[in-house]
Amino acid sequence: MEVIQALRNVFHQDSLLVGEEACRPFECDALSAYREHPLAVVLPENVEQVKQALRICKQYQVPVITRGSGTGLAGGTLPLKNGIVLGLSKLNKIIKIDPLQRTAIVQPGVRNIVVSEAVAHHGLYYAPDPSSQIACSIGGNVAENSGGVHCLKYGLTVHNVTSIKIIDMDGTESVFDEKDDGIDLLALMNGSEGLLGVIVEIKLKLLPKPEAAQVVMAAFHSVGDCADAVTRVLEQGIIPAGLEMMDKFSIMAAEAFAKVGYPTEAEALLLCEVDGSHDQVQVDAKRVADILTQAGAYQIQLSQNEAQRIALWKGRKNAFPAVGRFSPDYYCMDGTIPRSQLAFILEEIAKLSTKYGLKVANVFHAGDGNLHPLIMYDANKPGELATTEAFGGEILKLCVDVGGTITGEHGVGVEKLNAMCHQYDTPELEIFHGIKAIFDDTGLLNPGKAVPTLHRCAEVSHMHVHNNQLPHPHLERF
Amino acid sequence: MWRNKAGDPNISQWCEQIKQATTDHKTVQISGHYSKVLLDQQAEQLSVSGYEGIVSYEPSELVVTVKAGTKLSELKAVLAQHNQMLGFEPPDYGDSTIGGTYACALTGPSRPFRGILRDFVLGTKLIDGQGRYMRFGGRMIKNVAGYDVSRMLVGSKGSMALVTEMSLRVIPLVEERTYCMEMPENEAILLMNKMAGTSLPLSAAAYYQGKFYYRVAGEHPIQTNRVGVTEISSHIWVALNPFRPQLPSDVKLWRLDVESTTPAIENTIAVGSCGMRRWVASKEKPNHPYTTLWQSYFAPRNNDTPRVAHLKKGLRDVFDPFHVFKQM
Repeated sequence: MEVIQALRNVFHQDSLLVGEEACRPFECDALSAYREHPLAVVLPENVEQVKQALRICKQYQVPVITRGSGTGLAGGTLPLKNGIVLGLSKLNKIIKIDPLQRTAIVQPGVRNIVVSEAVAHHGLYYAPDPSSQIACSIGGNVAENSGGVHCLKYGLTVHNVTSIKIIDMDGTESVFDEKDDGIDLLALMNGSEGLLGVIVEIKLKLLPKPEAAQVVMAAFHSVGDCADAVTRVLEQGIIPAGLEMMDKFSIMAAEAFAKVGYPTEAEALLLCEVDGSHDQVQVDAKRVADILTQAGAYQIQLSQNEAQRIALWKGRKNAFPAVGRFSPDYYCMDGTIPRSQLAFILEEIAKLSTKYGLKVANVFHAGDGNLHPLIMYDANKPGELATTEAFGGEILKLCVDVGGTITGEHGVGVEKLNAMCHQYDTPELEIFHGIKAIFDDTGLLNPGKAVPTLHRCAEVSHMHVHNNQLPHPHLERF
Repeated sequence: MWRNKAGDPNISQWCEQIKQATTDHKTVQISGHYSKVLLDQQAEQLSVSGYEGIVSYEPSELVVTVKAGTKLSELKAVLAQHNQMLGFEPPDYGDSTIGGTYACALTGPSRPFRGILRDFVLGTKLIDGQGRYMRFGGRMIKNVAGYDVSRMLVGSKGSMALVTEMSLRVIPLVEERTYCMEMPENEAILLMNKMAGTSLPLSAAAYYQGKFYYRVAGEHPIQTNRVGVTEISSHIWVALNPFRPQLPSDVKLWRLDVESTTPAIENTIAVGSCGMRRWVASKEKPNHPYTTLWQSYFAPRNNDTPRVAHLKKGLRDVFDPFHVFKQM
């Protein structure tokens, strides 16, 4: 192929992977139900090579799927058969750390955790902490506007990035900075899923590490009481650093996995972490414990030291793999809902669970309304993945109908294209396609992801009318 | 479901006005109380000033949804009743509306600690240049479905769409104390940056007329046992936000956005945002990339690279293909 020949002129053998075996690790991201074999994988070692790769792809009209660590959960970096994967994992240098200014300039392939490790001796850290932070890259974080358990207090990626440099298909550099005037292109890039440009440099905000942190664990006899308790904590003016809720199945699974003493008879468990200065934490932890007791918690435990704090989190942090032990496969949803709707939504999910004959465990970022139902299924059973996806689709529809959204932090990718049709109407989708065309008039950057075509949405709504259950929803339909 | 089923007469009227303007090739100027923009006699006026009020407010969800013409003073009062506030501390120029504040992307002294205005934007409803009523984002703190149009339009100054309603994240009202000490400017810039890297819960830091001012939120160690530190009232933050110094008629006020540790810049009369903002009074424009003339709050910098200028122009065409909305 001509394009591969052209790339060979620029890239060494170990930076240009061709052939089925070499490309296999890049066939999917963390949504492994979707796979595709790309034309080739290019692994540039510097920004100049990124530009060259893009120019070559433009010349030969070859789609480019930019990829970080491949930890995305929505198929955002699923390859195209006729496209190349632009892997940025070799762009993994921290360019500059300025402890006084509390900023770090990094390349996109730098892993999230590495930033915090590199600045720890200055008493600083990078706040957004997606659960994949050991592996996921900062570039991917920006592309997805990743969250984490601490984002109620410390914000998402968009709140912690002050400048980025992107490259377009012509190889031209642009910088979007918080200091720019006029419209906010920096905000637009966050969560744009690789459709608007290739991010090659990011300036991050660093925060001073909190002096102290304490976690309060509270057990409830009902989900509704637990949700109400969260409401009261927030009404009292406390913004916890972390506020996580688990349902009965998740508690059981997490306890079986981590053995940290979660009360498995509870219907709902709340972990509420407060952080800040020693004085503040003492005051807040006691207030939280009092509020939760008044709100009906039947058991309260406060971490007395760092080891206990980490232990109490261990179950929650491993909730996904813990649930995974009870099922060959699980499908993680990512809707957000107003917290007042939680009890209603969980009831509806329970009904759907019976309807589809698939078990669900629910993990909930209670502070920011982000619900992660984990649908348990077996991919080896014919048709069960499709059933699972239909089930998931109904959950997302439900989230939109109560005033929430189809994705809080995982992104749309290929996975939620149909659900996007339910969240947005034609005019909004036209605006999205318009934005894409301005940044990428070639249409070669991660085509087909994040925003559904109008044809597709027409099909989806048509099918919804005639048949409530979508067969093979991942297929493009015209 | 949401799309104006109740038939809000303002919305339908504005949609019609904008559609009409596209066929009549007229320019429409969006305004509130004219606290940040001069009336353009040539343009057709579209005022959101009467379009006010809280659409919904759930204190425990930490979100308020508000119509664009709502006055800041009113919004702040409603939030204060529930011990909450706007985290970006917008400057009030007198009858300023939330819509105008959004359009101009105005953030107060807490910026480096709590974030800029767009950080608090969760969703908007708007009418584009074809008179289409749309909704982007929502009321959720987390939402990554679709491009972040509601944050992107912050700072668009009414040039791309009529934003009619916005949902904003709110934060708890906390007890704060303000301290002050005399020192040279460069020492203050260094000190404020150093302090921001410690666990002291700072919520503002500035330098003005020979004094370093800082504000601390919540529980914190006693400050006044440090040499030269006194506790003062919080009025200084109002005096600096909005900053409206009396200057000789031939001297202009410039707003510079800089790296927080940048040493003292010539002719600076105030340092804000923990060093990230410098107010310079001079006849000539200071030679700095992020300099804005602050006589009229709207003067654009016009120093984008060709590529960025191309993107901005293109995006304007996406939202307003017939160029109905007045450019600032």
